[in-house]
Amino acid sequence: MNNRIREFRARFNLTQEDLAKRVNVRRETIVFLEKNKYNPSLKLAHDIAQVFGVPIEEVFTFDDE
Amino acid sequence: MKRGIIALLVSAIVLATAAYWFFGLEKSVNVQDILSFGIIIILVGFGIWFAVRRFSAVRSGEPPEDELSKKIVQKSAAWSYYISLYMWVFLIWLKDRVTMDTEQVLGAGILSMAVIFMLCYIFHRVRGVRNE
Repeated sequence: MNNRIREFRARFNLTQEDLAKRVNVRRETIVFLEKNKYNPSLKLAHDIAQVFGVPIEEVFTFDDE
Repeated sequence: MKRGIIALLVSAIVLATAAYWFFGLEKSVNVQDILSFGIIIILVGFGIWFAVRRFSAVRSGEPPEDELSKKIVQKSAAWSYYISLYMWVFLIWLKDRVTMDTEQVLGAGILSMAVIFMLCYIFHRVRGVRNE
C-alpha cells in the first residue's frame, strides 16, 4: 500500500504535526505512514482523505503485488 | 496519562526492590547478580522512557496513544508470547544441566520475558507495522 500524504501535505501547506492533530493521532504515526511503514485503518485513511478533501483512493493506492 | 503514571510507579517499585536486594546482599556479589541488576536497570529505563513519551505527547496536545502505538504494543505482546514459550523450554532444558535453584530459574524466566518484550517493541518501532 502506497500513499501520497507527503505530496498532499505540501500542497495544503500542512506540517506533520498539523495533520496529526487534525486526524487525532500522534505525529509519529504520520511519519510511519509517509515512510510506508504502517498501513492505516480504514477510519484513519478516511479521516486523512477528508482533511485533503479528496477520495481515499487518491491518497492511498495499492500495488498489484 | 493514567498508564504513564502506572508505568512510572511500577518502574519506581521495581527499581527500589532491585536496589534493596542488590545492595542488601550479604554474600559477595557475583557476575550473575551484577547481570541481573543490569538487566533490571535497562528494563526500568525502558519503562521510564515509555512513561515520559506518553507525558510529552499529552503536553504537546497529542493523544497519549493512537492506533499505531496500540498496534505496536499488541504485536510486540503476541511475538514475545511465542518467543517466551521457547525461552521457557530452553530454561527447563538448561535447569538439568547447570546448578540452578527454582527461584533462580523463575527469576531468569521472568526477566527474560521482560527483555523479550522490550526487544520485540523496539523491533516493531524500528521496522513499522504493515499488514503482511
